[in-house]
Amino acid sequence: MPFLEFRQITKRFPGVLALDGVSLTVERGTCHALIGENGAGKSTLGKILAGVYTADSGQIFIGNHPVAPTTPLAARELGIAMVHQELAFCPNLSVAENLCLGDLPRRRGFIDRSALRARARALLAAVGADIDPDLPIGTLSTGREQLVQIAAAVGTGAQIIVMDEPTSSLSAAETTDLFRLVRELKARGLTLIYVSHRLEELFALCDQITVLRDGRHIATEAIASTTPARVVTQMIGRELRAHTPAHLTRELGPVRLSATALTSPGHFTNIPLSVRAGEIVGLAGIVGAGRSEVVQALFGLDPAATGEVRVNDRPLALGSIDQALAAGLGLVPEDRKRQGLVLGLNCRENTALAALPLLTRFGFVRRAAEATLTARYATRLRVKTPSMEAITAGLSGGNQQKIALAKWLARDCDVLLIDEPTRGVDVGAKAEIYQLLDELACEGKALLVVSSELPELIGLCRRILVMRQGALAGELPHAAFSEAALMQLMAGLPAAA
Amino acid sequence: MPARLRALFRFQESGLLLVILALGALLTAFAGTVRTPVFERAADGTRTRVYTTDAAGERVPLTIEKNKFLNAQNLAQLAKDTSFIAIMAVGMALVIISGGIDLTVGSIYALASVAGALVLRHFGAEGPAATSPLLGIFLGTGTCLGVATLCGLASGSLIVALRVHPFIITLGGMAIYRGIAFVITEGQSIGSFPAAFREFVRFEGGDGLGVVPLATMIVVLFVGWIFLSRLAAGRRIYAIGGNELAARFSGIRVERVKLGVYVICGLCAGIAALLSIGYYGAATSGDGQGYELNVIAAAVVGGASLNGGRGSALGVVLGALIIQMISSGIVILGINQNYSQIIIGSVVIFAVVLDNLNSWLAKRRLTAAA
Repeated sequence: MPFLEFRQITKRFPGVLALDGVSLTVERGTCHALIGENGAGKSTLGKILAGVYTADSGQIFIGNHPVAPTTPLAARELGIAMVHQELAFCPNLSVAENLCLGDLPRRRGFIDRSALRARARALLAAVGADIDPDLPIGTLSTGREQLVQIAAAVGTGAQIIVMDEPTSSLSAAETTDLFRLVRELKARGLTLIYVSHRLEELFALCDQITVLRDGRHIATEAIASTTPARVVTQMIGRELRAHTPAHLTRELGPVRLSATALTSPGHFTNIPLSVRAGEIVGLAGIVGAGRSEVVQALFGLDPAATGEVRVNDRPLALGSIDQALAAGLGLVPEDRKRQGLVLGLNCRENTALAALPLLTRFGFVRRAAEATLTARYATRLRVKTPSMEAITAGLSGGNQQKIALAKWLARDCDVLLIDEPTRGVDVGAKAEIYQLLDELACEGKALLVVSSELPELIGLCRRILVMRQGALAGELPHAAFSEAALMQLMAGLPAAA
Repeated sequence: MPARLRALFRFQESGLLLVILALGALLTAFAGTVRTPVFERAADGTRTRVYTTDAAGERVPLTIEKNKFLNAQNLAQLAKDTSFIAIMAVGMALVIISGGIDLTVGSIYALASVAGALVLRHFGAEGPAATSPLLGIFLGTGTCLGVATLCGLASGSLIVALRVHPFIITLGGMAIYRGIAFVITEGQSIGSFPAAFREFVRFEGGDGLGVVPLATMIVVLFVGWIFLSRLAAGRRIYAIGGNELAARFSGIRVERVKLGVYVICGLCAGIAALLSIGYYGAATSGDGQGYELNVIAAAVVGGASLNGGRGSALGVVLGALIIQMISSGIVILGINQNYSQIIIGSVVIFAVVLDNLNSWLAKRRLTAAA
């Protein structure tokens, strides 16, 4: 008899069918992997179990009893806890206060500080975490904060723990610690749902693996009876094939963007870079290496940045978006919901936002010109929307990302800085975005692309710059591209012979 | 349903129009009637009562029976009262759409009123410069609008420069501006303006309809509507209110736009103040007490979202009309005046609940369409 069972779970979000009748079973005391590309629905499924979302239809059974957690609190009472990617605590309160927030020990109405600390120490010790309970949560690293989350989950008697991309921002040492803890929890009989898209760690850690694709259940298999290559095929639904972008064979134009000694105290130091017309240059590095900070500084968002930057051979003063825009730079930021789009505005207004100065006469928006321009780029990027008047919040992630790109195409920049071009974008839209970036390079634009997905950089770029701890760790020409070579540079290892 | 009709229903302000019609119908139905004397307007503009002889042959004033709500005088009064609030509400709409709030409008109204009034009194019949009333009107108008604009500039600059939440800055500004008004007037009422100024502002169409406040409101509404829906500056306000960071990343000069909305909001309070001193012929530092709440209520009832990014000029003007209809309805229906604040407060909360319900429904529609 399965311990945990999902039956025909379906969930819709505005603009996207996130889960489409997913059914699967999980045995007690196992670590069950949920894998799939961005947008496959793996996080959504985990969040439905943890009561963060409610399924539109379908049922969940624990030990053959139907359960329907509608809030995280209800899920916790059912013995289900979730370890979130993002901050799940009050960052201003201490570790101890956060751990006991639901039930603070009190004596005559006042908080009993020593009991609070003792209880927190016990909870932390149960997961082998050596953390000072008096530290504010906000001062902990993501990895240590996750340990506190796990301590809280174990402390409330959770039988099932959902871990959503737990290693996405952990250091190598923290990851090892986490893996040890996961194995220990499993040995204690806890059931773990491990959501990730990192194949290698799933094969190192999990017992069963379920592959989701575009919201559908594709396969559930024992780790022992499958292979990484097979899982990849299931994830993307077709054999991987090498696609050579057209821009690689074109002649390069003049240098569009160059920087020497680009420095921002505390973020990065002494970064040189140059991008020529028709070139796509990648910027790789682990999270925190300073990649996004570099492109944001180039775009004038970092007032502390210094260095000599030239765009089209004219010097660019750093620290001013106005200057960067005037020089012909555009930035597609990494977080489209926070930085890229005004979700409450419609597609036309978002697409025209950066190009407004070009579409204005005597302060009035030229409505016909606006409609033509925005429609042209929406068509070119194949944005799927009922109309350009539809509110952007209703579009799927992929289509929102296309609008975020269209916004800068409409502005007609010479140099595009693109931070995570396909984050949270489904497979089909990904391919379309790659195609578009290739076309832009062929048209003579200069592109600097930041990405955490190495295959993306390898498939797209002519050169890749690798950053490590705020410095340039190396540069790979196209001929030397390989995930292994990139990872070695990212991790600071000597290059393999 | 024909497409045109559907489009009308989807039109954001149609709900407000329905509410206004319903309120009007309710007030008309329950207002009861009142007997009012009939006046006759002579060729020189003076009004005299019309007399008739009754059955006993005595000369008595001629009266007619009118609905208490639906009569020309009451509607004219409603139009005038709405105008003051609506003009300020258009300015407030800009601030609220940009994601801010301005609590200073009532105090700016008072300060601009007394500043303008002091200048006008200097040129009034009893003032030292009674000989040049036109210059006085010109300077008085300039002072009133200028002071209001400067107040808006001051609040806006502080909000932008100190990066403090506008609630705090304008809460302080609210006390400071009214305090300045009190200090410069020493608490006295300032009156005795050039006659021409009052005559102009009080110029009436038939049945006591104050044409000037109403026309000013219509102009402000039109300018506000064009500004928000057709100008790039308006688009930037929506973008900043919707997502300030994304607006900044799009190259919008966020600080400049924010400063602008507080300046315009101040100017709108100044326009209302100018009309009020002309209309009432006097100003004190206590004028416009509590107006900030009426104006914010009008904006919120009119569909401006306090989360920013949403609202329209027409909506807030209709919102102002609703607030005024409720205020005057309380008088007409003979409800104890003391209840009026309670009722208006409840209406504001109800409007926000309705708005939240509406966004929730819209989100459901989006999900269902997917």
